[in-house]
Amino acid sequence: MAQRLPAVDAVTIGVGLTGALAAFEMVQAGLKVVGLERGAPRETVPNFQSPAIHDELRFSIRKAMMQDNVKVAVTFRNNSDQTALPIRRWESFLPGQGLGGSFVHWNGQSFRAQVADFVLRTHLIRRYGQKFLDACGPELTIQDWGVTYDELEPHYDRFEYLCGVSGKAGNIKGQIQPGGNPLEAPRSREYPNPPMKEPYFGAIFRKGAESLGYHPYPQPSSNLSRPYTNPLGVKLEQCVFCGFCERYACEHYAKASPQTILLPVLLKNPNYELRTSCEVLRINLDSTGKKATGVTYVDGAGREFEQPAEIVFITAFPLNNVRTLLLSGIGKPYDPRTGEGVVGRNYSYQTTAGPTVFMDESININPFMSSGAPGTMIDDFSGDNFDHANLGFIGGQYVGSIMTGARPIEFHPTPPGTPPWGLEWKRAVARHYNHTILIQQHGTSMSSRLNYLDLDPTYKDAWGQPLLRMTFDFPENDIRMSQYIADKVVEIGRAMGGKIVVRGGTKRPYTTTVYQSTHNCGGAVMGDDPKTSAVNRYMQCWDVPNVFSLGGSAFPQNITYNYTITIGALTYWALDAIKTKYLKSPGPLVQA
Amino acid sequence: MTFPRLLLVGAAAMLGPLGVITLVQAQSGGHPADAKRGAVIVAQGTAAGAPPCAQCHAFNGVSDASGAFPRLAGQSAYYLAKQLRDFALGERASAIMSPIAKALSPDDVADVAAYFATVNAPFLPLKAADAALVKRGEQLAKVGSAEHRIQNCDNCHGPDGAGEPPAIPYLAGQYAHYIAFTLQMWQQGFRKNSLNTMGVIAKKLDDQEIAAVAAYYQQVQSTLETVESQGKD
Repeated sequence: MAQRLPAVDAVTIGVGLTGALAAFEMVQAGLKVVGLERGAPRETVPNFQSPAIHDELRFSIRKAMMQDNVKVAVTFRNNSDQTALPIRRWESFLPGQGLGGSFVHWNGQSFRAQVADFVLRTHLIRRYGQKFLDACGPELTIQDWGVTYDELEPHYDRFEYLCGVSGKAGNIKGQIQPGGNPLEAPRSREYPNPPMKEPYFGAIFRKGAESLGYHPYPQPSSNLSRPYTNPLGVKLEQCVFCGFCERYACEHYAKASPQTILLPVLLKNPNYELRTSCEVLRINLDSTGKKATGVTYVDGAGREFEQPAEIVFITAFPLNNVRTLLLSGIGKPYDPRTGEGVVGRNYSYQTTAGPTVFMDESININPFMSSGAPGTMIDDFSGDNFDHANLGFIGGQYVGSIMTGARPIEFHPTPPGTPPWGLEWKRAVARHYNHTILIQQHGTSMSSRLNYLDLDPTYKDAWGQPLLRMTFDFPENDIRMSQYIADKVVEIGRAMGGKIVVRGGTKRPYTTTVYQSTHNCGGAVMGDDPKTSAVNRYMQCWDVPNVFSLGGSAFPQNITYNYTITIGALTYWALDAIKTKYLKSPGPLVQA
Repeated sequence: MTFPRLLLVGAAAMLGPLGVITLVQAQSGGHPADAKRGAVIVAQGTAAGAPPCAQCHAFNGVSDASGAFPRLAGQSAYYLAKQLRDFALGERASAIMSPIAKALSPDDVADVAAYFATVNAPFLPLKAADAALVKRGEQLAKVGSAEHRIQNCDNCHGPDGAGEPPAIPYLAGQYAHYIAFTLQMWQQGFRKNSLNTMGVIAKKLDDQEIAAVAAYYQQVQSTLETVESQGKD
């Protein structure tokens, strides 16, 4: 029997990026907020300090910062005809666990989306016609977001200044800025900090890309280029290029994370209470099923509690947002046979993989001197920045040289034909380790009626609840896109002076055994139509208006870029509407 | 690293496939560091007017027990050479070292740095510091301070302050007086050659914390020796 706790105004399920942001904005508005985090509490000091934090075996290989999939895994299959099996070793994607969530072990790659991304369907039909879109794949279910770039711009700006993003603007209010990305969406002002120093691999990429007429720019980074005090008064420091960013936490207060931008202020607020090691089982609804009454959770000692709340924010990793909705019976689950239902619909991912460029032995790359977002990029093939009319696909990828540390267990570049083990392999690693440049292709993933999330009929978690089941393979459209760009990137690799350029590009079937991206998105998508979206343009559940599902689960399909900054902007956008409209008059912010 | 003396001249002409000068070539300079010549400068000074380094730092780079001068023995050549250049440029302000550094030619700097880097010198017996202070220092060095948002020193200075050569100096066995003094120099802006890292951190430390880390690092090496000698007894 669950013990019923005193009611609070709001509860967040998860305390990562969206959970910390939601709690902060709500306590500022005078609400009493409880943050429920399933993982452990952790702070820069003492938890993220070296030498322990630089343990590559523990963090990169054994995934110590990731969701405990002994307790809660995700099952996976490529299509509806297969039987899904639990992923017991995270490889393809890495959902974080613990205070700060995945916003602790992220790389800090800090892009905005493009103007067209938010009105993708409308934009593509206007530019290429409905027939073209149908030809790209009748199974595609791409749609508009219900919010526009212009509406989000102030929230992008606010979130970038919160993080202290280091970059060079390429387009300020329509004016192209030298040194920045001329193809970016217009921003209202310069980044809060100048770009990071360009590593040697980036300088070589820049030359190669420029020689082919492309437009290189420094990757925007939430690993900071200089000491910075954010608008909340929290001080961050300058990145020291230690090379342990992705899959790790920053020891140096130099990477934006809840611990470095928000929590020092939030945790001091008497209206906020953080409870860690608390696994939320479900959101409780009243007898009408139209109003949430709070959540039920289990604490670290196994005791069950009911926490009543007026507002419930689902602020978990995107996959877990969807699972929470399904376990709570909020919104109609998606049925792939009829195409009806919205929860679990439009799950999408990210197309990654790029070439490896083997350089001459005289070129010392020193890739170990790096950060999580040290790249030099081009946007010439991003999104709809190039004419697709004769290409037979939609979408695109950014291309850039981003080497995030070349740590010894993970980084062993060898050219094709090298034996996979033994003396010759060791010789090849020694020969190529410091003379190899990786190029990233990173781009869109279109939603499809064949790809979705639902509850697994067989496998359960440690508390006896069904696991989330992922049914996913890349649509052929995305493969054509990735392969087209792969050819272009090989040309860049050659222009960089590569002796051997091993072509990249995504292939089918999708596999969960190779790292690709932790940008799982969709499944509880936002939109204007309750028939094709689980949440409205403010990420408010259509069916239960006092539940907000914040984060990447709201993306109707994935954009070209790493999604964290867009999640931050969307969250600020929703919270702004909650503060200015919902709190004054609780109820649906959009009439269905 | 040793490169032929001609390389500096050659570097501009030695272009990679794209006309890029490779970093190692560009950064290494043209002088093959000569530790033997460095030893002569340390002992005798230079004709251009630089006094012998040994006057303050001792011939073996252990300086003296006053702690007024840092221990240089075994410090990375890259780090030592950079400090000398920064003294000359004023990035590190020092009424004593700046004129000396200005009197040294680039070759002198490389040679002196190479010499001190190779010296394997003993640690002087020093008076033990207050145990509680050392303990507090150890905590800062290995864990940091959550309260003051100070990361641990070993993140960059290596396990137990062993250094992360080439760029980051060892602190283990360095004189407490010198560590405390140089942290104050960072705090007050007299030392600017890693302003955005050490300058920021030093400003977060209070006097007590500075005294503690300084006391801790001074005894790291001597603690090991004490343990060994106690074992023999």
